[in-house]
Amino acid sequence: MNGSDQVRDDFCELIEAYALGALDSEERTAVAAHLATGCAECTAALGEAQRLVSQLAYLAPEYAPSDMLRGQLLKTVREEAAANAKNLAKSGLRAAIPFWMLGAVAAMLLFALYNAYELRVTTNTIQQTRAELEKQIQQQQESARELAIARREASILTDAKSVKIAMSADNKDLPVLQATWNPELGLVVSGQKLAAPVGGRTLQLWLIPKAAGAKPVPSVTLRPNQDGNLDLLVANPPGRPSGTKALAITEEPEGGSPQPTTAPIWVGAVAGK
Amino acid sequence: MKQPIVFLAVFTPSDSSDVSPDAALVRRLLQRDVSAFEELYDRHSRLVYALVLRILQQATTAEEVVQDVFLQLWRNTALYDGSRGAFVPWLLTMARNRALDQLRLKGERQRRLEDQTDELPPVAAIPDFEGSLDEKRRAVRVRELLGSLNPRQKRAIELAYFEGLSHSEIANALKEPLGTVKSWIRNGLLRLKEGLQTAP
Repeated sequence: MNGSDQVRDDFCELIEAYALGALDSEERTAVAAHLATGCAECTAALGEAQRLVSQLAYLAPEYAPSDMLRGQLLKTVREEAAANAKNLAKSGLRAAIPFWMLGAVAAMLLFALYNAYELRVTTNTIQQTRAELEKQIQQQQESARELAIARREASILTDAKSVKIAMSADNKDLPVLQATWNPELGLVVSGQKLAAPVGGRTLQLWLIPKAAGAKPVPSVTLRPNQDGNLDLLVANPPGRPSGTKALAITEEPEGGSPQPTTAPIWVGAVAGK
Repeated sequence: MKQPIVFLAVFTPSDSSDVSPDAALVRRLLQRDVSAFEELYDRHSRLVYALVLRILQQATTAEEVVQDVFLQLWRNTALYDGSRGAFVPWLLTMARNRALDQLRLKGERQRRLEDQTDELPPVAAIPDFEGSLDEKRRAVRVRELLGSLNPRQKRAIELAYFEGLSHSEIANALKEPLGTVKSWIRNGLLRLKEGLQTAP
């Protein structure tokens, strides 16, 4: 017998007392530590010892617990079983929904979300397209209007009935403006290298009637563009070349005036045809 | 020569096999079968109660402990591992431990010494174990075997089992040498073991 066998036998001698709970602290600790090592033989012996010790219960005088205890216990157990069954039924209901159905619902939800997203994108696209179309239409209308103006101006400038009017300024630094007036098509005023009025001021065209004592007739206000060019079509001037002695341009407050408030800057005589 | 026969099924390792009635009931108990619980209670509550009452010597407290034990069985059935032993020893071990804990916790041992008149429970003793001849024979056999011991030797075992005393405490209580008490208990248990394994 080697040392290890001796130790095991020593513990096996104590195993019944250990199962009985009769060992004093030191021995109990030693046996517990040995069992903790996993000694299979002593572990098996402990199982046998516990079965043996449990037989001592038969030494107890025979008594039965009250019926009340049995009733209380069964009541508690039945209530807990019912609650447990209820919980199982709830979880079972959840489990009863097949996975494929949950997947289908999820897919439908995703599809609906995708459709909503697509609808929103499409709506935005339509709105953008409509805005671009409206912008294009507006540009086309503007181009058409400009083209019509250009055609009308070209007609005025080339028509035999038109009257050429040179509008010169007292200030020799200012360029001469050219006006062409057709009794049917209107009046065109053009010039270059012009400075736009500043400080809330604008230029205004006047028709000076031939009739003696007649006051200047106000026409449109005009302003050269950023490049200093002026190209103005007066489609319906408030007079006709035959009744007009001269054209004049003054500087007036923004929006124009009913009567000239300043001396004319440019003046051009209308020669009758 | 007469061949020895197995006398106590509960004592043999084979008793923990899956075919025992208790094992089948425990399997049903794991499925939350109330009728299985009811059957297990009816089969074993008397023995459990008798043991707990013997330890606590007070009927009301004993019933409280028995209730705790069976509720523990119901709520934590999985704590019982059938591969590690038979059901009844496991149940009795749990009941004994709880009763001894109660005994120590409430100082019932001292109270009992002071009030011996409250020892007997109100419930009448049941003379036999209904429907369990094996159990009855087992009880008779255990009592015979322990009864054959020196009365002081038997008393030492009872002090250890029913009152949770250690070797030293028993030696003090019986005023016997510690070595004598150790020998009494070990030899007494070995005799019980031999007696339960074979029938005369």
